[in-house]
Amino acid sequence: MQWHVQIGFLGWIIAGRAAILRSGKEVLLKVEPVDPRDLLRGDYVALGYDISRIPTRLIANIPAGQTRSDDTPITVRLSKGVDGYWQASAAWLGTAPGAAPADQADIAGHISSGWDLTPGTTVTVDYGIERFYLPEGEGVPIQNDMRVRPFGIRVALNGRGQAQIKALMDGDKTLFEEPLY
Amino acid sequence: MASYSTRVRSDIARWVEAGLIDASTGQVLARDVEANQRASLSFGSILAMMAALLFGAAILIFVAANWEAIPRLVRVIVLFAVILAGYVGGAVAKTRDHAAIGEALWIIAAAAFGGSMALIGQMYHLSGDEASALLVWGAGTTLAAVALRSNPLTIAAVGIADAWMVLKGFDYFGRHDLPHLFLLMAAVLFAVSFWTRSQPARHLILLSLIFYLVLLAVDDASLTVAIPLVVGSAALFAIAVAAPGPVDRIVQLGGRLPLHALIGFLTGIAIIQFQLAGESAHIAAFTAASVVAIIGIVAALVLAGRESRGLRWLAYAGFAFELAMIYVVTLPSMLDTAGFLPAAAAMVGNRGLCVSRVGEST
Repeated sequence: MQWHVQIGFLGWIIAGRAAILRSGKEVLLKVEPVDPRDLLRGDYVALGYDISRIPTRLIANIPAGQTRSDDTPITVRLSKGVDGYWQASAAWLGTAPGAAPADQADIAGHISSGWDLTPGTTVTVDYGIERFYLPEGEGVPIQNDMRVRPFGIRVALNGRGQAQIKALMDGDKTLFEEPLY
Repeated sequence: MASYSTRVRSDIARWVEAGLIDASTGQVLARDVEANQRASLSFGSILAMMAALLFGAAILIFVAANWEAIPRLVRVIVLFAVILAGYVGGAVAKTRDHAAIGEALWIIAAAAFGGSMALIGQMYHLSGDEASALLVWGAGTTLAAVALRSNPLTIAAVGIADAWMVLKGFDYFGRHDLPHLFLLMAAVLFAVSFWTRSQPARHLILLSLIFYLVLLAVDDASLTVAIPLVVGSAALFAIAVAAPGPVDRIVQLGGRLPLHALIGFLTGIAIIQFQLAGESAHIAAFTAASVVAIIGIVAALVLAGRESRGLRWLAYAGFAFELAMIYVVTLPSMLDTAGFLPAAAAMVGNRGLCVSRVGEST
């Protein structure tokens, strides 16, 4: 029978995601608004983070002589700033050389090939948390609010740095908190 | 257009009237035609399939609406229930001789699987692109098609693969690499279609491959794609026409391989012509391509036009396109075009005379 393979597969995705929400380490990231769009999964707010652009000087292990990035994973180490938002303090192409200290957290991202790696430039990193899906019609008001005051995303990170969005924050106020299921 | 049985019945009536056969023979012939008429199109199964597709689309748009009134865990459970009920119910309907309903239920189940993936992506704000979701959806549908040996599910899997290719192919914001993986998907689905006895899937795959080559040509490598396409299509056409029986036993396309080959040929020529048009340095090449096009169309008509109405109409459409193309893209001057057209007319007319003489002598 076909159904148990497909339902099993889907259930496995849900279980994995719920596990991150349940037991992942929690960090708060500052969001910059991007235009909302509308696709298969419905209305969403496209999210750009301040950690979406990483200055190349933070990347500790760029091989000597390499000026263009490959299509590669990247690990970004976050530390909590005074304003409560977590910021990038270091980064490594591939994985981090060691585990993050207790007051820091590692987030796994991805950079595409062709970014300039010479000093003074930044690379754009994808963390898989660049969209926040909303009930139909609720995207635009939030989008507009985001332009005038800071919004945040609370993110859960598992041991491998895989990120899962937990909540959309309007300043200190939680707008949407995601249940486990 | 009248079906074969309608036409032969009117022929029988005419023969009886003209006294070629007597009335009783006419009746016997008419009854024989009726008895051997291919099982008429089952509108029941077509309508069931349309209903299933509408229902599947409803599932997808319902997920996209992200309606808060129903808790999402309930939405997940409902979709899982639809997957389960669809596959199991479809199998039960199949064994009870309701094949159309069974296939329709499987299509709904496949749609619910895609909808579930969209819903999970929405629940956990997975920002991965739609293309990778389509890839998994297509793989799941292909597995289901193989396991259930289902023709409609095979077609659905080809449709999802096509959607993936189009999404990838037109994604100029992304990294812009062309969806070469489609070739592998097409090969796998083509193989699967023999197991699932899905001739429509094979037709769709061949058309999709031609579309894929168009995407490839648009990307930049126009001539390196188009010239092999023209040559390959012509060769395929020649093989399909030279040995129709053996070829169709292999590809099982209902004898329509020449049609696909002609589509490929005309598409390739059109790409070449668009590439060469408007550059005075390439006029000779453009003229040569136009001559090849007309020779190809005439050859297709003469060699295979008698057997296939579809091929005839395609050849006419291709001819109309070529006429417009040659007319619009003037050769060095309008006067040259005016000279080219009668030359082409003489060539085609000459060929026509030969064919009709051969026709008279046999």
